[in-house]
Amino acid sequence: MNLRKNLSVKNIVILAVLLLLPVLLTAVGFSYGILVCCFSFLYIIAVSGLDVDFGYCGQISMGHAAFFAIGAYGSVMLHTYCHLPVLLTMIIATLLATVIGAIIAYPASKLVFHFLSLATIAFGEIVYSLILNSPGGITNNAVGMFTDPINLFGFSLDTNTKFYYFGLVAVALFLIAKQLMIHSKVGRAWIAIRENPHAANGMGINVTKYKVMAFAVSAFYTGFAGAMYAHLVGYIGPDTFTQKQSVMFVTMMLFGGTGSLLGPILGAVTVFVMTECLRVFEQYQMLIYGALLLIVIVAFPGGIYGEGKKLIARLTKRKGGVKNAAGN
Amino acid sequence: MFLQILISGFVLGCVYGLIALGYSLIYKSSGLMNFVQGDVLTLGAFLGYTFFSLLKLPYLVSLILTVLVAFLFGMAMEHFVIGKLLKKNVLAIYVVLATIAVQYILQNSIQGIWSTKMLSYPQIFSVSSIKIAGVSIQTESVFCIFMSFLCMAGLQIFMKHTRFGTAMRASAMDAKAAQACGINTSLSTGISWGIAAGMAALAGILLGPIYGVFIMLGSTIGRKGFAGAIMGGYGNLIGAIVGGILLGVTETFVAGYLSSTYKDMIAYALLLLFLFVKPTGIFNERAISE
Repeated sequence: MNLRKNLSVKNIVILAVLLLLPVLLTAVGFSYGILVCCFSFLYIIAVSGLDVDFGYCGQISMGHAAFFAIGAYGSVMLHTYCHLPVLLTMIIATLLATVIGAIIAYPASKLVFHFLSLATIAFGEIVYSLILNSPGGITNNAVGMFTDPINLFGFSLDTNTKFYYFGLVAVALFLIAKQLMIHSKVGRAWIAIRENPHAANGMGINVTKYKVMAFAVSAFYTGFAGAMYAHLVGYIGPDTFTQKQSVMFVTMMLFGGTGSLLGPILGAVTVFVMTECLRVFEQYQMLIYGALLLIVIVAFPGGIYGEGKKLIARLTKRKGGVKNAAGN
Repeated sequence: MFLQILISGFVLGCVYGLIALGYSLIYKSSGLMNFVQGDVLTLGAFLGYTFFSLLKLPYLVSLILTVLVAFLFGMAMEHFVIGKLLKKNVLAIYVVLATIAVQYILQNSIQGIWSTKMLSYPQIFSVSSIKIAGVSIQTESVFCIFMSFLCMAGLQIFMKHTRFGTAMRASAMDAKAAQACGINTSLSTGISWGIAAGMAALAGILLGPIYGVFIMLGSTIGRKGFAGAIMGGYGNLIGAIVGGILLGVTETFVAGYLSSTYKDMIAYALLLLFLFVKPTGIFNERAISE
């Protein structure tokens, strides 16, 4: 990552657009768009986390709504019952999600694909029913809990525009951290495990350790996204954290394309905007969603990013630019 | 009290058993996981209701028709969705996700065709309850247990003692070798998806008169059925039945004697416990770990 390459005109334009977007959207009178961006940010973080686990380490999770829930409920409950400031509660809840993720990942690391997905589904269901029927009713069960916006050392993020900038910074930090991890020794170990766990083991990589690490990192990302969700919406209820949410994360990841920086971003934004548009067809939302999912699975198994890259490669090849066409 | 709980545990257990049997059959024949089973159960309950209560067909005829429709649904799904994906050589997660997509479509279509309201079957048998050892038991429950056992026994005989069942087992064991022997492997995979769907629909039409018919009838049962299949040893046909019944009885006893709050959690906790501690299940089926 050299500085000059990163400071190209294109990147500066993108950065300027991202920074000015709330102003532009307000000027056009579409301030709802800012909220959509805020949601997209937290989904980008969650899906990037899942991508660390699946796209790089090859471990599926169909129960990430559980970590989303632990982040959200952990933060809200710490704020409500212990009166800690919101940013601190978010960090504690995220760490809690990470620890729980590591604890679950340790025995799960020996399971192969299908059974790993079953184990994570079961874990997601257990967390869901614990929220719905909590001991002593500490999560307010089906009623849900209301909470306050994020408080940055006395500066309250009470409007969507303020949250937008917080979210933008958070996304940038999480994505940079992801890139740094991927390009380190840890990231190479993950990729080796994804390609062939037995060979990785043979080369002296501690497979269990790195699988647990990948799962814990993805729990960290998703947990933080959950905490962001709670303080963006200001209310959490058990309905947000069902199996459907976990499937949504997986859909976003696959739709965008796995094992890349841009894939999860594209997937999270597209699928979120798509489901928002489907709200109009309230009654047949699931039907349309299922049909779209099926079409995407059958038509573009590489996700938007993967298929797009293939398309660009084919176009440049036709022009004779074989040098640029060599994707991975 | 004890006997009543035991019987209702057995009813639920038989339903889990039928669902789990479908999972094991599909896993054996194609190495895949199918999330649609639970909603095929719902479909079966609604179809049975339509045939029996709206079209006034005899119960046994509606039962056979329901199973037949579900069988065709299962085969069609294998042929048009799963088979297409497998031919493209996609990652296994795409197949899992495709079955989830079909599940959403099916759930929403059922909601669109029938209603979101809870429906209940009219009385099926002229005798509403049977007395066993001084306790009266719903006739439908007894019938449900009887039919489930009949179906499970029938499947065992079909798989072990018929030409076609042997062909199916052969193609599950080694598809290439079976093809070389002249077995139509794609047909046998299709049939096993069909049988799995048929059994789920049978569970639906048997459970409908006892629990009532509603949209979400099957989806939880479908997910919990995995616990039954894992407990018995995923891929083991007898294990699926034993695991399913064990799960149903455990769940009902916990709900009856301890607390019904954590009823749903029992199944998932058992699933995790078995996966982490004894992934090969009670019957030591070695299909599971690396």
